[in-house]
Amino acid sequence: MINHETELKLQAYLDGELSSGEAKAVEDLSTHDADARALFEELKLTKSVLAENELEVRLPESRGFYWSKIQRQIEREEKGRATEQTETAASSWWLRFLAPAGALAVLVVLVVVALRAPKGAETLVALDGSHEIETPLEETSSFSFQSEAAGMTVVWVDSHRE
Amino acid sequence: MSRKLDYPSAADDVLVKAAQKADMQAFEELVARHRDKIYARAVSMMRNEEEAADLSQEAWVKAWQRLKQFQGEASFVTWMTRIIINLCLDQLRKQKRLRAESIEQLDEESGGVERQMPVVTPNPTERMERGELRQRIDEALGKLSCEHRTVLILHEFEELEYKEIAKRMQCSIGTVMSRLFYARRKIATLLAGWKREESR
Repeated sequence: MINHETELKLQAYLDGELSSGEAKAVEDLSTHDADARALFEELKLTKSVLAENELEVRLPESRGFYWSKIQRQIEREEKGRATEQTETAASSWWLRFLAPAGALAVLVVLVVVALRAPKGAETLVALDGSHEIETPLEETSSFSFQSEAAGMTVVWVDSHRE
Repeated sequence: MSRKLDYPSAADDVLVKAAQKADMQAFEELVARHRDKIYARAVSMMRNEEEAADLSQEAWVKAWQRLKQFQGEASFVTWMTRIIINLCLDQLRKQKRLRAESIEQLDEESGGVERQMPVVTPNPTERMERGELRQRIDEALGKLSCEHRTVLILHEFEELEYKEIAKRMQCSIGTVMSRLFYARRKIATLLAGWKREESR
């Protein structure tokens, strides 16, 4: 009885998947070994029977009806794609506008803060070793109180200050 | 002034060129010519006519969308067949009907089951009418597992090489060889069995 590897080689030989050296060895085997030859003949017969006898199947729909379904799907997908592209273009327009506008706004804020900040404006009032009140800028309407002893920080924000 | 294309008598490559320039009528002619073949391949792989009809329709839509990528290295119908095969393989994977490689199949794929089948002699299809033979072969294909049937279809009907089948089915060449061997032996045994039943 031939082993599985040899069986697969016989099949590969039939399918033209072996190198010339391997093909020669398998050819010799199928000539001298009756089992190998019988198996090879069966595989060959099955291959040829299958190749010529695939069942013919016809689409059970008329030409016009089948095409109309394909055409509708093509049009639907093209429409969807066009909408998607328009949306992408619109959002990319916004992104193109927002990115420089955002950068400009940040720049303006930085310039205004820098211009309005008087020299030495930052004040720090130490009440004692563990308490302090800080007002970062004179003009700004917030100051904070920090107490290490109490383990607390309070920030006042005056929204009515001019 | 360009002449109007005679669609029914134009060759496939002429129709393809026209369709690539967005001529839908040319594409419609291509669909009409090859729709049965594409549908038949889907039926053979899916074993379900409704699914096959949906997938073949999807294949034609995809073909229209990718038509510009078709360079004409193979024939248009070969290109179309590749599209439907890939769609069917994707669908079978989604439905978990197609396994890449698994332990359960180890025995079958390493030569366990099929080696016990006696070699079939003589030709069991002799004197069988062609229509009947085709029907028998189709029935036999239906008795194979999805993996074995797919390998057999891709090799015997689509004439793909082992390497190409392994790539498409995402398995090793060794697995392709074992599956093909099993499938062929099983088909031979089934055909012989029917022949024996008839002669009783």
